[in-house]
Amino acid sequence: MNERWSLAPGHVPSTLALIVLGLCGAVAVAEAAMAFARRSDRIDRRTAFAALGLRLLAIGAVFAVAFELTLRLDHITDPIQRVVVLVDRSASIAVPDATELGAKPETRQARIERVWSESAGPRSLWRDRGISIDVRGFDSVSEPITGEAAETLATTPVGTASDLTGAIATLLGDAQRPDDRVAAVIVLSDGLVGGLDSEAATTHLLDVAGKLGVPVTTVAVGAPALRDVAVADVRAGEFAFVENVTELETTIVAHGLEGTSAAVALLRNGERIAERKLRLRGDGVPNRIEFEVAPDRVGQFVYEIAVDEIAGEATLANNRRAFVVKVLRDKVRVLHVAGRPDWDVRALRTLLRRDPNVELLSYYILRDFDDIAREDTDALSLIPFPTEELFESELGSFDVVVLHNFDAVPHQVAQYIDNIAQFVDGGGALVLIGGDLGFSDGGYGTPAIARQLPIDVRRAPPLRHERVRPVLTEAGRRHPITAWLLAGDGRGWEPLPELDAWNPVGLTDRDDIGAITLLAHPDELDARGRPRPIVAVSEPGKGRVVTLATGSTWRLGFAPELALVDGARPYDLLWLGVVRWLLRDDTSGRLSLETDKPRYRAGESVKLVARTATAAYAPEPSVPVQWRIEPLAQDAKPTSSGSWTTDAQGRAEETVEALEIGAYRATAAREGDGGSEVTRVFIVEPPGRELARIDADSGTARMRRLAETTGGAFIEAVAGHILPDDVPVGEAAEDSRARVGARREIALWGGPMALVVLLFAFGGEWWLRRRVGVA
Amino acid sequence: MPSRRDALRMAAAASAWSIVPVPALAGPAPRGEDVLSIDLPQLRYDGEWQPRSGAMRVLARELRLRTRLEPLAQPTSVTAESRELFDTPFLYVAGEAALPTFSRAGEANLRQFLDLGGLILFDAADGGTDGAFTESARELLGRIAPGSEITAVSRDHVLFRSFYLVDTPVGRTAAFDHMLGIHDEGRISALIMRNDLGGALEEGLDGRVVHPCAPGGAEQRQWAIRLGVNVLLYATCTDYKADRAHVETLLRARRWR
Repeated sequence: MNERWSLAPGHVPSTLALIVLGLCGAVAVAEAAMAFARRSDRIDRRTAFAALGLRLLAIGAVFAVAFELTLRLDHITDPIQRVVVLVDRSASIAVPDATELGAKPETRQARIERVWSESAGPRSLWRDRGISIDVRGFDSVSEPITGEAAETLATTPVGTASDLTGAIATLLGDAQRPDDRVAAVIVLSDGLVGGLDSEAATTHLLDVAGKLGVPVTTVAVGAPALRDVAVADVRAGEFAFVENVTELETTIVAHGLEGTSAAVALLRNGERIAERKLRLRGDGVPNRIEFEVAPDRVGQFVYEIAVDEIAGEATLANNRRAFVVKVLRDKVRVLHVAGRPDWDVRALRTLLRRDPNVELLSYYILRDFDDIAREDTDALSLIPFPTEELFESELGSFDVVVLHNFDAVPHQVAQYIDNIAQFVDGGGALVLIGGDLGFSDGGYGTPAIARQLPIDVRRAPPLRHERVRPVLTEAGRRHPITAWLLAGDGRGWEPLPELDAWNPVGLTDRDDIGAITLLAHPDELDARGRPRPIVAVSEPGKGRVVTLATGSTWRLGFAPELALVDGARPYDLLWLGVVRWLLRDDTSGRLSLETDKPRYRAGESVKLVARTATAAYAPEPSVPVQWRIEPLAQDAKPTSSGSWTTDAQGRAEETVEALEIGAYRATAAREGDGGSEVTRVFIVEPPGRELARIDADSGTARMRRLAETTGGAFIEAVAGHILPDDVPVGEAAEDSRARVGARREIALWGGPMALVVLLFAFGGEWWLRRRVGVA
Repeated sequence: MPSRRDALRMAAAASAWSIVPVPALAGPAPRGEDVLSIDLPQLRYDGEWQPRSGAMRVLARELRLRTRLEPLAQPTSVTAESRELFDTPFLYVAGEAALPTFSRAGEANLRQFLDLGGLILFDAADGGTDGAFTESARELLGRIAPGSEITAVSRDHVLFRSFYLVDTPVGRTAAFDHMLGIHDEGRISALIMRNDLGGALEEGLDGRVVHPCAPGGAEQRQWAIRLGVNVLLYATCTDYKADRAHVETLLRARRWR
């Protein structure tokens, strides 16, 4: 250790001041020098030297004040070698493994702690050699470990990623500061770093370590024997189409379980919907399984691949993998079959054709069997009615079947009625519209279809040519098909046109299909004293049915002084409601809920947006809405909840922070008139697939390669090795050899001493000259 | 594996060659009181509003005979000012001379009639010799459908295959080889027939044809009836026959012949 000094200016005057000061100093020195050289004989040599010295001292004091000079004294110490220890804190470190199957497993974390503890001696030697030890933990980020934690490295590793490359790259930044330059790196890890177990990730790691330019000593803490099964990969599209088969493929990887049977399940929103049995193959050999699903409704769903637990597994955290699939509707396929062209058919066809989301296939019976077969048959543009194709082979391709005043029996459709019943049971939607033909032939009275209909048409009801203005039932006031009648002035059907004719049908006696009357005749009652239904619905099996005991709803769209409801034609609102309800459209209710994304990274904020609408689907402001977020797991408690009141646009939103990794269900509910509850699911997922592959063999090889490439030492913890006494360090840079240990600064210009020196120098010279008689 | 669209196409095509499924035991559709009939109303106005008396009655009869439509046996008449104008989204307007000026309420009603989706058929009884009726119909349409353009209805329009395959829109005369119309968002909202369709349809009390059709005679009358049928099928089914399944089947049928 030694000391060095230097002068440092605290203030540098302007250029002009510097020139003036320099000139003055030069003149003062020149004048003093000339006075010394041409001194008279009566001035002795010692006095002349003293005067010259005092002049130079005065000039120096003036410069010290002008430049605010400081005397800097540095104590120089020997250079320090900094060694950074990177400790893996990702979740895979908590996995227990062993040297061989059957041996007692030990967690990798335990090996880290043991190696560190048993290396206390070598670490002490390093310090004696002037090596400083800087301990940092890494998972998805790198952070310092200090104090007691740095001495023991004890922790519970739960990190969701192992970004060793990022942790080393952080040290590259330190290299920009010479005093913090790293001499060596020591890595304690299982080597399962960089996310995917790929060569590209390894190459990138080696590149970054190479740029650091110092030896990287690695301690591999994994062991070769492991007992575990993991969902290694899932391949599924983010979107699927309703009623279309979508394939989901998953890869299952197992270790130490060859020949064992495993059950792999597919869950949707927490509900088990499919399962495959699998006999597991050898260590690390991929087992691929495909699931085929045909989503039965639109919406956002959390699907999950789950492998049932096998006894003795190293971890269960990798047995499940969730992902989000948004199920969309392709164009809605509607089959519109009408028994007779009329204005009602025209109105419905026009409405459906106008909707770009509807693919409409129509078959209308244009000729009756007793119509004259004239000699001009060739001039007809008619085509045969393809009953078999429509009602047998292709029926399942439709979303909605509309039988519009259609007499099934004369057109050989009666034999396919059971197919239509199966179609509804399987999730299809059926609309049955009355009139003079629709219910006239008993075609819909077969047991299979009759038990699905909300009305009883086993006895063919006649057509009554009576004007009728239906009334809303209590259920109809809340139902999406008819609730719009209370929007606007709230008078229901009163301001709307009357219907021309109706079929006197009765509500079915069955109580297991949710049959309800939405619109009823104002006066007429059925055999059981209930109002005769004009519009009724039911939900048999997975499907939905709407019946209209009238073929004149077109009146709601064609009338003088037609009362619009929130700016829309009543006819449009009625059929919009019918189609939305039949298709289970999320927006068929008066409350909708969205998330800004289907999947979030851990730490990202989740945004919920709710919209409320009037019964006529116009934005509805000032509606109180309750909301909550809860994990999809059964019996889970809400993690967040609250209440909103929608704004002028019928909108409300909430941003939720810091949700833990997992699948969630967001629920919003509005009460009172239009009350409903809607849900949305989403997942919060880790940034990597930390536990997708936990077999340490590849990681150990990666650790060995990292050490060999950088000139470090490779240590295998499972073999009982510890850190070496002589850890490899790099050549320190030239400019980092001298290190300033301490510094002292003395201000030469400040304080009274500077003034005393100035007065002494100037005054002393003046007094001396006066004494010898030259002043 | 064929897509569902392909399957539907194949289904429609295959059906073209199949036998029309007419069951032997199938009975006729209900008629009379139980039938949900439609009206073919004619506009009543000051002046000679019914130059071809009973033309709509004959058309109604032919529709009942040839199609499954069930028009009233005696179609009604309505005025432009009446609420009954909105009882049916179809209106037949005939005349031999220029239409009179309608009241403001009447024109407002006719404008709303078109706005709500109604179809008006103007039929010039002059058969193309005078043009006054046609010109007044154009002027009326200019007021009740402002901004709309009256253009020729092309020969490939679905109107000409809505029931029959009609090549030329003839009536009592064949002076014009096309009809005029207003095309509004893919549909025809008004038609102007200048070849006197009503003249071809009209029958006397004895059931005999009142006006000879020229130059085609009886055959031309048949084509006029077919055109009338097509207009009503278009009114009730709109562009049903333009659906792909129908077009492809018809095209295949024609090639086969």
